[in-house]
Amino acid sequence: MAAAGKSAGSVASRRRWALVLLLAPITLVLGCFFLIPLGIMMVYSVLEPGVYGGVEWVWYPYNYGRILGWPLNDYEQFDPVYLRILLNSLLLAVLTVIGTFVLCYPAAFWVARMPPGRKNLVLFLITLPFFANLLIRIYAWLLLLRPTGFINAVLQGAGLIDEPLDLMFSNTAVLIGMIYILTPFMFLPLYASVEKLDPGLLRASQDLGANAVQTFWRVILPLTAPGIMAGALIVFIPALGNFIVPSFLGGSKVQMTGTLIERSFLQSRDWPFGAALALLIMGFVVALVLIGLARGNRAGVRR
Amino acid sequence: MIDRILTSGIWRRLRGGYGLLFLGFLYLPLGLIFFYSFNSNPINIVEWSGFTFDWYKTIFVGADAESNFDAVFSESPARIFEVVKNSLFIALTASAIATVIGTATALAMGRHSFAGKRLYQALLILPMVVPDIVLGIALLIFFVGAGFELSLATIIIGHVTFLSSYVFIVVSARLAGMDTSLEQASADLGAGPLTTFRRITLPQIMPGVMGGFLLGFIISLDDVVITYFIAGVGAQTLPLFILAMMRRGLRPQISALAVLLLLFSFLVAATGLWLRGRKVNRH
Repeated sequence: MAAAGKSAGSVASRRRWALVLLLAPITLVLGCFFLIPLGIMMVYSVLEPGVYGGVEWVWYPYNYGRILGWPLNDYEQFDPVYLRILLNSLLLAVLTVIGTFVLCYPAAFWVARMPPGRKNLVLFLITLPFFANLLIRIYAWLLLLRPTGFINAVLQGAGLIDEPLDLMFSNTAVLIGMIYILTPFMFLPLYASVEKLDPGLLRASQDLGANAVQTFWRVILPLTAPGIMAGALIVFIPALGNFIVPSFLGGSKVQMTGTLIERSFLQSRDWPFGAALALLIMGFVVALVLIGLARGNRAGVRR
Repeated sequence: MIDRILTSGIWRRLRGGYGLLFLGFLYLPLGLIFFYSFNSNPINIVEWSGFTFDWYKTIFVGADAESNFDAVFSESPARIFEVVKNSLFIALTASAIATVIGTATALAMGRHSFAGKRLYQALLILPMVVPDIVLGIALLIFFVGAGFELSLATIIIGHVTFLSSYVFIVVSARLAGMDTSLEQASADLGAGPLTTFRRITLPQIMPGVMGGFLLGFIISLDDVVITYFIAGVGAQTLPLFILAMMRRGLRPQISALAVLLLLFSFLVAATGLWLRGRKVNRH
Protein backbone atom coordinates (compact mmCIF):
# COMPACT_ATOMS: atom_id res chain seq x y z
CA MET A 1 0.00 0.00 0.00
CA ALA A 2 2.66 2.41 1.10
CA ALA A 3 4.71 1.64 -1.98
CA ALA A 4 1.69 2.18 -4.21
CA GLY A 5 0.94 5.50 -2.48
CA LYS A 6 4.50 6.66 -2.90
CA SER A 7 4.61 5.73 -6.56
CA ALA A 8 1.28 7.49 -7.14
CA GLY A 9 2.79 10.59 -5.54
CA SER A 10 5.92 10.39 -7.68
CA VAL A 11 3.78 9.85 -10.79
CA ALA A 12 1.86 13.01 -9.98
CA SER A 13 5.03 15.03 -9.47
CA ARG A 14 6.56 13.56 -12.61
CA ARG A 15 3.47 14.61 -14.52
CA ARG A 16 3.77 18.09 -13.11
CA TRP A 17 7.39 18.30 -14.24
CA ALA A 18 6.43 16.99 -17.68
CA LEU A 19 3.78 19.71 -17.94
CA VAL A 20 6.24 22.42 -16.97
CA LEU A 21 8.75 21.16 -19.53
CA LEU A 22 6.12 20.93 -22.27
CA LEU A 23 4.80 24.44 -21.64
CA ALA A 24 8.15 26.16 -21.09
CA PRO A 25 9.14 26.69 -24.76
CA ILE A 26 5.82 28.19 -25.92
CA THR A 27 5.65 30.39 -22.82
CA LEU A 28 9.13 31.66 -23.52
CA VAL A 29 8.54 32.25 -27.25
CA LEU A 30 5.12 33.91 -26.95
CA GLY A 31 6.17 35.85 -23.85
CA CYS A 32 9.43 37.24 -25.23
CA PHE A 33 8.60 37.62 -28.91
CA PHE A 34 4.89 38.28 -28.89
CA LEU A 35 3.48 39.72 -25.66
CA ILE A 36 6.48 41.91 -24.82
CA PRO A 37 6.71 43.36 -28.38
CA LEU A 38 2.96 44.10 -28.34
CA GLY A 39 3.37 45.73 -24.94
CA ILE A 40 6.27 47.88 -26.15
CA MET A 41 4.23 48.88 -29.19
CA MET A 42 1.40 50.05 -26.90
CA VAL A 43 3.86 52.15 -24.89
CA TYR A 44 5.38 53.60 -28.08
CA SER A 45 1.95 54.63 -29.33
CA VAL A 46 1.67 57.26 -26.58
CA LEU A 47 5.24 58.61 -26.81
CA GLU A 48 6.58 61.53 -28.79
CA PRO A 49 8.29 60.62 -32.07
CA GLY A 50 12.05 61.16 -32.08
CA VAL A 51 13.65 63.42 -34.65
CA TYR A 52 15.54 60.65 -36.46
CA GLY A 53 13.15 57.76 -35.83
CA GLY A 54 12.75 56.12 -32.44
CA VAL A 55 10.95 57.89 -29.59
CA GLU A 56 11.30 60.54 -26.93
CA TRP A 57 10.05 59.43 -23.53
CA VAL A 58 7.36 62.08 -23.34
CA TRP A 59 3.62 61.42 -22.89
CA TYR A 60 2.09 62.23 -26.28
CA PRO A 61 -1.51 61.06 -26.90
CA TYR A 62 -1.62 63.26 -30.00
CA ASN A 63 -0.64 60.18 -32.07
CA TYR A 64 -4.22 59.07 -31.54
CA GLY A 65 -5.51 62.64 -31.64
CA ARG A 66 -4.23 63.10 -35.19
CA ILE A 67 -6.34 60.15 -36.29
CA LEU A 68 -9.44 60.39 -34.12
CA GLY A 69 -9.73 64.16 -33.90
CA TRP A 70 -8.41 66.10 -30.96
CA PRO A 71 -5.95 68.82 -31.88
CA LEU A 72 -2.48 69.13 -30.34
CA ASN A 73 -3.04 72.69 -29.20
CA ASP A 74 -5.27 75.65 -29.84
CA TYR A 75 -3.48 76.70 -33.01
CA GLU A 76 -3.85 73.52 -35.00
CA GLN A 77 -7.01 72.32 -36.61
CA PHE A 78 -8.03 68.72 -36.90
CA ASP A 79 -7.43 67.29 -40.36
CA PRO A 80 -9.72 64.31 -40.97
CA VAL A 81 -7.45 62.81 -43.66
CA TYR A 82 -6.27 59.92 -41.46
CA LEU A 83 -9.75 59.23 -40.15
CA ARG A 84 -10.98 59.05 -43.72
CA ILE A 85 -8.22 56.58 -44.60
CA LEU A 86 -9.11 54.44 -41.60
CA LEU A 87 -12.80 54.42 -42.54
CA ASN A 88 -11.87 53.63 -46.16
CA SER A 89 -9.88 50.62 -45.00
CA LEU A 90 -12.81 49.43 -42.91
CA LEU A 91 -15.11 49.83 -45.90
CA LEU A 92 -12.69 47.95 -48.15
CA ALA A 93 -12.45 45.10 -45.63
CA VAL A 94 -16.25 44.90 -45.33
CA LEU A 95 -16.66 44.93 -49.13
CA THR A 96 -14.02 42.20 -49.40
CA VAL A 97 -15.98 40.09 -46.93
CA ILE A 98 -19.20 40.63 -48.91
CA GLY A 99 -17.49 39.94 -52.24
CA THR A 100 -15.84 36.70 -51.14
CA PHE A 101 -19.10 35.60 -49.50
CA VAL A 102 -21.19 36.18 -52.64
CA LEU A 103 -18.59 34.26 -54.68
CA CYS A 104 -18.15 31.34 -52.29
CA TYR A 105 -21.65 30.67 -50.97
CA PRO A 106 -23.08 29.19 -54.19
CA ALA A 107 -19.77 27.41 -54.83
CA ALA A 108 -19.99 25.76 -51.38
CA PHE A 109 -23.42 24.31 -52.32
CA TRP A 110 -22.03 23.18 -55.66
CA VAL A 111 -19.24 21.20 -53.97
CA ALA A 112 -21.41 19.91 -51.10
CA ARG A 113 -23.81 18.15 -53.50
CA MET A 114 -21.07 16.24 -55.36
CA PRO A 115 -20.41 12.50 -55.25
CA PRO A 116 -17.53 11.82 -52.76
CA GLY A 117 -14.74 11.07 -55.24
CA ARG A 118 -15.21 14.19 -57.31
CA LYS A 119 -15.88 16.24 -54.18
CA ASN A 120 -12.41 15.47 -52.82
CA LEU A 121 -10.78 16.40 -56.11
CA VAL A 122 -12.65 19.72 -56.37
CA LEU A 123 -11.96 20.55 -52.71
CA PHE A 124 -8.30 19.88 -53.39
CA LEU A 125 -8.40 22.18 -56.44
CA ILE A 126 -10.07 24.98 -54.46
CA THR A 127 -7.62 24.65 -51.55
CA LEU A 128 -4.51 24.62 -53.73
CA PRO A 129 -4.41 28.35 -54.77
CA PHE A 130 -4.46 29.11 -51.03
CA PHE A 131 -0.82 28.01 -51.03
CA ALA A 132 0.23 30.22 -53.93
CA ASN A 133 2.37 33.12 -52.78
CA LEU A 134 0.48 36.35 -52.15
CA LEU A 135 2.81 38.29 -54.48
CA ILE A 136 2.31 35.83 -57.33
CA ARG A 137 -1.45 36.14 -57.05
CA ILE A 138 -1.15 39.94 -57.19
CA TYR A 139 1.30 39.65 -60.08
CA ALA A 140 -1.35 37.70 -62.01
CA TRP A 141 -3.76 40.62 -61.65
CA LEU A 142 -1.09 43.07 -62.75
CA LEU A 143 -0.83 41.04 -65.97
CA LEU A 144 -4.60 41.22 -66.34
CA LEU A 145 -5.34 44.83 -65.44
CA ARG A 146 -2.41 46.87 -66.73
CA PRO A 147 -3.04 49.36 -69.57
CA THR A 148 -0.97 47.02 -71.75
CA GLY A 149 -2.35 43.99 -69.90
CA PHE A 150 -4.38 40.99 -70.94
CA ILE A 151 -7.90 42.41 -70.58
CA ASN A 152 -7.07 45.56 -72.55
CA ALA A 153 -5.22 43.51 -75.18
CA VAL A 154 -8.24 41.24 -75.67
CA LEU A 155 -10.72 44.12 -75.79
CA GLN A 156 -8.58 46.07 -78.25
CA GLY A 157 -7.95 42.98 -80.33
CA ALA A 158 -11.70 42.41 -80.58
CA GLY A 159 -12.12 46.03 -81.66
CA LEU A 160 -14.38 46.85 -78.73
CA ILE A 161 -12.24 49.75 -77.49
CA ASP A 162 -9.73 52.06 -79.16
CA GLU A 163 -7.91 53.35 -76.12
CA PRO A 164 -6.85 51.04 -73.29
CA LEU A 165 -9.16 51.26 -70.28
CA ASP A 166 -7.76 52.60 -67.03
CA LEU A 167 -8.33 49.51 -64.89
CA MET A 168 -5.47 49.82 -62.42
CA PHE A 169 -4.88 52.24 -59.57
CA SER A 170 -8.45 52.41 -58.38
CA ASN A 171 -10.45 51.26 -55.38
CA THR A 172 -12.11 48.68 -57.63
CA ALA A 173 -8.78 47.17 -58.64
CA VAL A 174 -7.74 46.92 -54.99
CA LEU A 175 -11.07 45.31 -54.11
CA ILE A 176 -10.74 42.75 -56.92
CA GLY A 177 -7.21 41.86 -55.84
CA MET A 178 -8.26 41.58 -52.22
CA ILE A 179 -11.23 39.33 -53.08
CA TYR A 180 -8.97 37.15 -55.21
CA ILE A 181 -6.33 36.57 -52.55
CA LEU A 182 -8.85 35.98 -49.74
CA THR A 183 -11.42 33.78 -51.49
CA PRO A 184 -10.04 30.47 -50.15
CA PHE A 185 -10.19 31.87 -46.59
CA MET A 186 -13.93 32.37 -47.01
CA PHE A 187 -14.63 29.17 -48.90
CA LEU A 188 -13.32 26.63 -46.39
CA PRO A 189 -15.36 27.66 -43.30
CA LEU A 190 -18.45 28.26 -45.46
CA TYR A 191 -18.12 24.85 -47.04
CA ALA A 192 -17.70 23.18 -43.63
CA SER A 193 -21.07 24.53 -42.46
CA VAL A 194 -22.88 23.99 -45.78
CA GLU A 195 -21.76 20.38 -45.92
CA LYS A 196 -23.23 19.70 -42.48
CA LEU A 197 -26.62 21.03 -43.63
CA ASP A 198 -29.16 18.23 -43.23
CA PRO A 199 -31.25 17.75 -46.42
CA GLY A 200 -33.99 16.33 -44.18
CA LEU A 201 -34.48 19.77 -42.63
CA LEU A 202 -34.96 21.34 -46.06
CA ARG A 203 -37.55 18.72 -46.89
CA ALA A 204 -39.26 19.28 -43.54
CA SER A 205 -39.37 23.03 -44.19
CA GLN A 206 -41.01 22.48 -47.56
CA ASP A 207 -43.43 19.86 -46.18
CA LEU A 208 -44.54 22.41 -43.62
CA GLY A 209 -45.46 24.77 -46.44
CA ALA A 210 -42.46 27.13 -46.65
CA ASN A 211 -41.55 28.38 -50.09
CA ALA A 212 -37.99 28.48 -51.43
CA VAL A 213 -37.31 32.02 -50.19
CA GLN A 214 -38.66 31.28 -46.71
CA THR A 215 -36.63 28.06 -46.51
CA PHE A 216 -33.51 29.99 -47.42
CA TRP A 217 -34.05 32.80 -44.88
CA ARG A 218 -35.42 30.72 -42.04
CA VAL A 219 -33.54 27.43 -42.40
CA ILE A 220 -30.48 27.52 -44.68
CA LEU A 221 -29.09 30.90 -43.65
CA PRO A 222 -29.36 30.45 -39.85
CA LEU A 223 -27.90 26.95 -40.02
CA THR A 224 -24.88 28.08 -42.02
CA ALA A 225 -24.42 31.27 -39.94
CA PRO A 226 -21.47 29.89 -37.91
CA GLY A 227 -19.54 29.25 -41.15
CA ILE A 228 -20.46 32.70 -42.47
CA MET A 229 -19.28 34.34 -39.24
CA ALA A 230 -16.01 32.40 -39.19
CA GLY A 231 -15.33 33.13 -42.88
CA ALA A 232 -16.16 36.81 -42.45
CA LEU A 233 -13.75 37.09 -39.54
CA ILE A 234 -10.78 35.41 -41.19
CA VAL A 235 -11.27 37.44 -44.37
CA PHE A 236 -11.78 40.71 -42.50
CA ILE A 237 -8.58 40.45 -40.42
CA PRO A 238 -6.01 40.26 -43.26
CA ALA A 239 -8.07 42.60 -45.47
CA LEU A 240 -7.98 45.39 -42.88
CA GLY A 241 -4.21 45.77 -42.58
CA ASN A 242 -3.05 44.64 -46.01
CA PHE A 243 -0.65 47.09 -47.63
CA ILE A 244 0.73 44.99 -50.47
CA VAL A 245 -2.44 44.80 -52.56
CA PRO A 246 -3.12 48.57 -52.32
CA SER A 247 0.50 49.43 -53.10
CA PHE A 248 0.51 47.40 -56.34
CA LEU A 249 -3.10 47.65 -57.57
CA GLY A 250 -3.96 51.00 -55.99
CA GLY A 251 -0.72 52.86 -56.52
CA SER A 252 -0.46 56.25 -54.90
CA LYS A 253 -4.12 56.97 -55.63
CA VAL A 254 -5.42 54.57 -53.02
CA GLN A 255 -4.39 55.19 -49.42
CA MET A 256 -5.13 52.47 -46.90
CA THR A 257 -4.26 52.11 -43.23
CA GLY A 258 -1.78 49.36 -44.08
CA THR A 259 0.14 51.58 -46.49
CA LEU A 260 0.07 54.40 -43.95
CA ILE A 261 1.53 52.15 -41.23
CA GLU A 262 4.20 50.85 -43.60
CA ARG A 263 5.19 54.39 -44.57
CA SER A 264 5.35 55.69 -41.01
CA PHE A 265 7.75 52.87 -40.16
CA LEU A 266 9.95 52.60 -43.21
CA GLN A 267 9.82 56.10 -44.74
CA SER A 268 8.63 58.96 -42.53
CA ARG A 269 10.04 57.18 -39.44
CA ASP A 270 7.21 58.31 -37.20
CA TRP A 271 7.04 55.07 -35.20
CA PRO A 272 4.59 56.19 -32.50
CA PHE A 273 2.06 57.26 -35.13
CA GLY A 274 2.39 53.92 -36.95
CA ALA A 275 2.04 52.08 -33.64
CA ALA A 276 -1.12 54.02 -32.81
CA LEU A 277 -2.64 53.14 -36.22
CA ALA A 278 -1.68 49.48 -35.79
CA LEU A 279 -3.26 49.37 -32.33
CA LEU A 280 -6.45 50.92 -33.68
CA ILE A 281 -6.87 48.21 -36.36
CA MET A 282 -5.95 45.57 -33.78
CA GLY A 283 -8.66 47.03 -31.55
CA PHE A 284 -11.24 46.53 -34.31
CA VAL A 285 -10.12 42.95 -34.82
CA VAL A 286 -10.11 42.04 -31.13
CA ALA A 287 -13.56 43.63 -30.68
CA LEU A 288 -14.92 41.58 -33.60
CA VAL A 289 -13.38 38.35 -32.29
CA LEU A 290 -14.87 38.97 -28.83
CA ILE A 291 -18.30 39.70 -30.34
CA GLY A 292 -18.01 36.53 -32.43
CA LEU A 293 -17.03 34.45 -29.39
CA ALA A 294 -19.82 35.93 -27.29
CA ARG A 295 -22.42 35.19 -29.98
CA GLY A 296 -21.01 31.69 -30.39
CA ASN A 297 -21.28 31.07 -26.64
CA ARG A 298 -24.83 32.41 -26.53
CA ALA A 299 -25.84 30.20 -29.43
CA GLY A 300 -24.23 27.27 -27.62
CA VAL A 301 -26.21 28.02 -24.46
CA ARG A 302 -29.46 28.37 -26.38
CA ARG A 303 -28.96 24.98 -27.96
CA MET B 1 -40.92 22.19 -53.92
CA ILE B 2 -37.51 23.54 -53.06
CA ASP B 3 -36.19 20.02 -53.08
CA ARG B 4 -37.55 19.56 -56.58
CA ILE B 5 -35.93 22.80 -57.67
CA LEU B 6 -32.64 21.84 -56.06
CA THR B 7 -32.56 18.46 -57.77
CA SER B 8 -34.02 19.48 -61.14
CA GLY B 9 -31.76 19.37 -64.16
CA ILE B 10 -31.78 23.09 -64.87
CA TRP B 11 -30.71 23.99 -61.37
CA ARG B 12 -27.97 21.39 -61.40
CA ARG B 13 -26.61 22.62 -64.69
CA LEU B 14 -26.73 26.22 -63.45
CA ARG B 15 -24.84 25.20 -60.33
CA GLY B 16 -22.30 23.22 -62.33
CA GLY B 17 -21.78 26.17 -64.67
CA TYR B 18 -21.25 28.49 -61.74
CA GLY B 19 -18.82 26.02 -60.21
CA LEU B 20 -16.72 26.00 -63.36
CA LEU B 21 -16.72 29.81 -63.42
CA PHE B 22 -15.57 29.77 -59.79
CA LEU B 23 -12.69 27.41 -60.57
CA GLY B 24 -11.86 29.54 -63.62
CA PHE B 25 -11.71 32.65 -61.43
CA LEU B 26 -9.25 30.88 -59.14
CA TYR B 27 -7.03 29.37 -61.83
CA LEU B 28 -7.14 31.53 -64.97
CA PRO B 29 -5.02 34.36 -63.52
CA LEU B 30 -2.40 31.83 -62.41
CA GLY B 31 -2.61 30.06 -65.79
CA LEU B 32 -1.93 33.39 -67.47
CA ILE B 33 1.42 33.68 -65.67
CA PHE B 34 2.32 30.15 -66.77
CA PHE B 35 1.37 30.87 -70.39
CA TYR B 36 3.24 34.18 -70.66
CA SER B 37 6.36 32.86 -68.94
CA PHE B 38 7.12 31.25 -72.33
CA ASN B 39 6.65 34.50 -74.27
CA SER B 40 9.87 35.73 -75.89
CA ASN B 41 8.77 39.38 -75.86
CA PRO B 42 10.99 41.14 -73.26
CA ILE B 43 9.20 44.51 -73.39
CA ASN B 44 5.50 43.75 -73.22
CA ILE B 45 4.87 40.54 -71.31
CA VAL B 46 1.38 39.90 -72.70
CA GLU B 47 2.12 40.64 -76.36
CA TRP B 48 2.95 37.25 -77.81
CA SER B 49 6.04 37.21 -80.00
CA GLY B 50 7.10 33.57 -79.93
CA PHE B 51 7.76 30.60 -77.69
CA THR B 52 10.91 30.52 -75.59
CA PHE B 53 12.49 28.84 -72.56
CA ASP B 54 14.89 31.78 -72.21
CA TRP B 55 13.36 33.22 -69.03
CA TYR B 56 13.78 29.92 -67.24
CA LYS B 57 17.30 29.73 -68.59
CA THR B 58 18.09 33.17 -67.14
CA ILE B 59 17.22 31.81 -63.69
CA PHE B 60 19.48 28.76 -63.83
CA VAL B 61 22.35 29.60 -66.19
CA GLY B 62 22.03 33.34 -66.73
CA ALA B 63 21.35 35.48 -69.76
CA ASP B 64 23.11 34.98 -73.11
CA ALA B 65 26.04 37.30 -73.49
CA GLU B 66 24.97 38.35 -77.01
CA SER B 67 21.40 39.10 -76.01
CA ASN B 68 21.39 42.58 -74.51
CA PHE B 69 17.73 42.45 -73.66
CA ASP B 70 17.96 39.30 -71.57
CA ALA B 71 20.86 40.64 -69.55
CA VAL B 72 19.14 43.95 -68.85
CA PHE B 73 15.84 42.34 -67.93
CA SER B 74 17.04 39.64 -65.57
CA GLU B 75 18.74 39.03 -62.25
CA SER B 76 21.81 36.83 -62.09
CA PRO B 77 21.48 33.13 -61.14
CA ALA B 78 23.94 33.65 -58.28
CA ARG B 79 21.70 36.29 -56.71
CA ILE B 80 18.58 34.15 -57.16
CA PHE B 81 20.36 31.11 -55.72
CA GLU B 82 21.34 33.13 -52.66
CA VAL B 83 17.80 34.30 -51.85
CA VAL B 84 16.36 30.82 -52.49
CA LYS B 85 18.97 29.40 -50.12
CA ASN B 86 18.02 32.02 -47.49
CA SER B 87 14.33 31.22 -47.88
CA LEU B 88 14.81 27.46 -47.60
CA PHE B 89 17.13 27.83 -44.60
CA ILE B 90 14.64 30.08 -42.79
CA ALA B 91 11.63 27.92 -43.66
CA LEU B 92 13.31 24.65 -42.62
CA THR B 93 14.79 26.00 -39.37
CA ALA B 94 11.74 27.99 -38.29
CA SER B 95 9.25 25.22 -39.05
CA ALA B 96 11.44 22.56 -37.37
CA ILE B 97 11.66 24.64 -34.18
CA ALA B 98 7.96 25.51 -34.36
CA THR B 99 7.09 21.83 -34.84
CA VAL B 100 8.89 20.85 -31.61
CA ILE B 101 7.36 23.74 -29.66
CA GLY B 102 3.87 23.34 -31.14
CA THR B 103 3.83 19.57 -30.54
CA ALA B 104 5.00 19.96 -26.94
CA THR B 105 2.27 22.55 -26.40
CA ALA B 106 -0.37 20.32 -27.98
CA LEU B 107 0.67 17.46 -25.65
CA ALA B 108 0.46 19.74 -22.63
CA MET B 109 -2.96 21.08 -23.61
CA GLY B 110 -4.36 17.74 -24.76
CA ARG B 111 -3.08 15.42 -22.04
CA HIS B 112 -2.92 17.61 -18.93
CA SER B 113 -5.35 19.75 -17.02
CA PHE B 114 -4.02 22.76 -15.16
CA ALA B 115 -5.01 26.16 -13.89
CA GLY B 116 -4.82 28.84 -16.56
CA LYS B 117 -5.44 26.43 -19.43
CA ARG B 118 -8.10 28.67 -20.97
CA LEU B 119 -5.68 31.58 -20.80
CA TYR B 120 -3.12 29.54 -22.75
CA GLN B 121 -5.78 28.60 -25.29
CA ALA B 122 -6.54 32.28 -25.91
CA LEU B 123 -2.84 33.15 -26.02
CA LEU B 124 -2.18 30.45 -28.63
CA ILE B 125 -4.95 31.71 -30.92
CA LEU B 126 -3.81 35.34 -30.61
CA PRO B 127 -0.82 35.26 -33.04
CA MET B 128 -3.16 34.00 -35.77
CA VAL B 129 -5.79 36.66 -35.03
CA VAL B 130 -3.47 39.65 -34.87
CA PRO B 131 -3.06 41.18 -38.36
CA ASP B 132 0.32 40.37 -39.95
CA ILE B 133 1.32 44.00 -40.20
CA VAL B 134 0.81 44.53 -36.45
CA LEU B 135 2.96 41.53 -35.56
CA GLY B 136 5.58 42.68 -38.07
CA ILE B 137 5.98 46.18 -36.67
CA ALA B 138 5.75 45.00 -33.03
CA LEU B 139 8.67 42.65 -33.72
CA LEU B 140 10.57 45.40 -35.56
CA ILE B 141 10.20 47.80 -32.61
CA PHE B 142 11.23 45.03 -30.21
CA PHE B 143 14.28 43.86 -32.17
CA VAL B 144 15.57 47.37 -32.74
CA GLY B 145 14.89 48.41 -29.15
CA ALA B 146 16.51 45.30 -27.67
CA GLY B 147 19.59 45.77 -29.84
CA PHE B 148 19.14 42.71 -32.06
CA GLU B 149 20.73 43.14 -35.47
CA LEU B 150 18.13 42.43 -38.17
CA SER B 151 19.27 39.26 -39.93
CA LEU B 152 18.26 35.74 -40.88
CA ALA B 153 18.10 35.00 -37.14
CA THR B 154 15.48 37.67 -36.43
CA ILE B 155 13.40 36.40 -39.36
CA ILE B 156 13.56 32.85 -37.94
CA ILE B 157 12.54 34.06 -34.46
CA GLY B 158 9.64 36.03 -35.94
CA HIS B 159 8.44 33.04 -37.98
CA VAL B 160 8.67 30.64 -35.00
CA THR B 161 6.39 32.99 -33.04
CA PHE B 162 3.39 32.55 -35.31
CA LEU B 163 4.19 29.11 -36.81
CA SER B 164 4.10 27.45 -33.35
CA SER B 165 0.39 28.28 -33.12
CA TYR B 166 -0.34 26.70 -36.52
CA VAL B 167 1.55 23.50 -35.59
CA PHE B 168 -0.27 23.46 -32.25
CA ILE B 169 -3.67 23.55 -34.00
CA VAL B 170 -2.77 20.76 -36.48
CA VAL B 171 -1.24 18.43 -33.85
CA SER B 172 -4.08 19.12 -31.38
CA ALA B 173 -6.63 18.03 -33.96
CA ARG B 174 -4.73 14.78 -34.40
CA LEU B 175 -4.39 14.25 -30.63
CA ALA B 176 -8.09 14.87 -30.08
CA GLY B 177 -9.03 12.14 -32.54
CA MET B 178 -6.67 9.63 -30.90
CA ASP B 179 -7.68 6.75 -28.67
CA THR B 180 -6.04 7.20 -25.22
CA SER B 181 -6.49 3.57 -24.14
CA LEU B 182 -3.17 2.53 -25.68
CA GLU B 183 -1.34 5.22 -23.71
CA GLN B 184 -3.07 4.09 -20.52
CA ALA B 185 -2.23 0.45 -21.22
CA SER B 186 1.40 1.40 -21.79
CA ALA B 187 1.52 3.29 -18.49
CA ASP B 188 -0.24 0.45 -16.66
CA LEU B 189 2.32 -1.99 -17.99
CA GLY B 190 5.04 0.08 -16.36
CA ALA B 191 6.40 2.16 -19.23
CA GLY B 192 7.69 5.59 -18.23
CA PRO B 193 6.20 8.74 -19.80
CA LEU B 194 9.12 9.06 -22.21
CA THR B 195 8.84 5.46 -23.40
CA THR B 196 5.08 5.80 -23.76
CA PHE B 197 5.55 8.99 -25.74
CA ARG B 198 8.23 7.53 -28.01
CA ARG B 199 6.63 4.14 -28.63
CA ILE B 200 2.88 4.91 -28.49
CA THR B 201 1.95 8.59 -28.75
CA LEU B 202 4.52 9.87 -31.24
CA PRO B 203 3.94 7.19 -33.92
CA GLN B 204 0.20 7.85 -33.72
CA ILE B 205 0.40 11.65 -33.97
CA MET B 206 3.19 11.52 -36.58
CA PRO B 207 0.94 12.42 -39.54
CA GLY B 208 -0.23 15.48 -37.58
CA VAL B 209 3.33 16.44 -36.71
CA MET B 210 4.43 16.06 -40.35
CA GLY B 211 1.37 17.98 -41.52
CA GLY B 212 2.14 20.75 -39.04
CA PHE B 213 5.74 20.88 -40.21
CA LEU B 214 4.73 21.12 -43.89
CA LEU B 215 2.12 23.80 -43.15
CA GLY B 216 4.72 25.75 -41.19
CA PHE B 217 7.26 25.29 -43.95
CA ILE B 218 4.96 26.60 -46.67
CA ILE B 219 3.68 29.53 -44.56
CA SER B 220 7.24 30.53 -43.70
CA LEU B 221 8.42 30.14 -47.30
CA ASP B 222 5.56 32.33 -48.57
CA ASP B 223 5.49 34.94 -45.83
CA VAL B 224 5.83 38.47 -47.15
CA VAL B 225 4.42 40.94 -44.65
CA ILE B 226 6.10 39.98 -41.36
CA THR B 227 9.41 39.20 -43.07
CA TYR B 228 9.23 42.57 -44.85
CA PHE B 229 9.54 44.40 -41.52
CA ILE B 230 12.05 42.19 -39.72
CA ALA B 231 14.48 41.43 -42.55
CA GLY B 232 17.62 43.52 -42.39
CA VAL B 233 19.67 44.77 -45.29
CA GLY B 234 21.65 41.58 -45.77
CA ALA B 235 18.84 39.07 -45.30
CA GLN B 236 16.62 38.88 -48.35
CA THR B 237 14.17 36.03 -48.89
CA LEU B 238 12.70 34.92 -52.22
CA PRO B 239 9.33 36.66 -51.69
CA LEU B 240 11.08 39.93 -50.71
CA PHE B 241 13.30 39.55 -53.78
CA ILE B 242 10.24 39.09 -56.01
CA LEU B 243 8.59 42.09 -54.31
CA ALA B 244 11.62 44.24 -55.12
CA MET B 245 11.63 42.99 -58.73
CA MET B 246 7.91 43.76 -59.08
CA ARG B 247 8.46 47.30 -57.80
CA ARG B 248 11.04 47.89 -60.53
CA GLY B 249 8.53 46.88 -63.20
CA LEU B 250 7.11 43.74 -64.75
CA ARG B 251 9.80 41.54 -66.30
CA PRO B 252 9.26 38.17 -67.97
CA GLN B 253 11.82 36.63 -65.62
CA ILE B 254 9.40 37.29 -62.73
CA SER B 255 6.81 35.13 -64.54
CA ALA B 256 9.25 32.25 -64.83
CA LEU B 257 10.32 32.61 -61.19
CA ALA B 258 6.66 32.81 -60.13
CA VAL B 259 5.82 29.62 -62.03
CA LEU B 260 8.66 27.73 -60.34
CA LEU B 261 7.69 28.97 -56.86
CA LEU B 262 4.04 28.15 -57.61
CA LEU B 263 4.86 24.59 -58.66
CA PHE B 264 7.04 24.07 -55.59
CA SER B 265 4.35 25.43 -53.21
CA PHE B 266 1.70 23.26 -54.85
CA LEU B 267 3.92 20.19 -54.52
CA VAL B 268 4.47 20.77 -50.79
CA ALA B 269 0.78 21.58 -50.25
CA ALA B 270 -0.32 18.48 -52.17
CA THR B 271 1.95 16.32 -50.00
CA GLY B 272 0.43 17.86 -46.87
CA LEU B 273 -3.15 17.39 -48.09
CA TRP B 274 -2.31 13.81 -49.06
CA LEU B 275 -0.99 13.14 -45.53
CA ARG B 276 -4.22 14.51 -44.11
CA GLY B 277 -6.32 12.47 -46.53
CA ARG B 278 -4.48 9.33 -45.45
CA LYS B 279 -5.36 10.04 -41.84
CA VAL B 280 -9.05 10.32 -42.69
CA ASN B 281 -9.04 7.08 -44.65
CA ARG B 282 -7.46 5.08 -41.86
CA HIS B 283 -10.12 6.05 -39.34
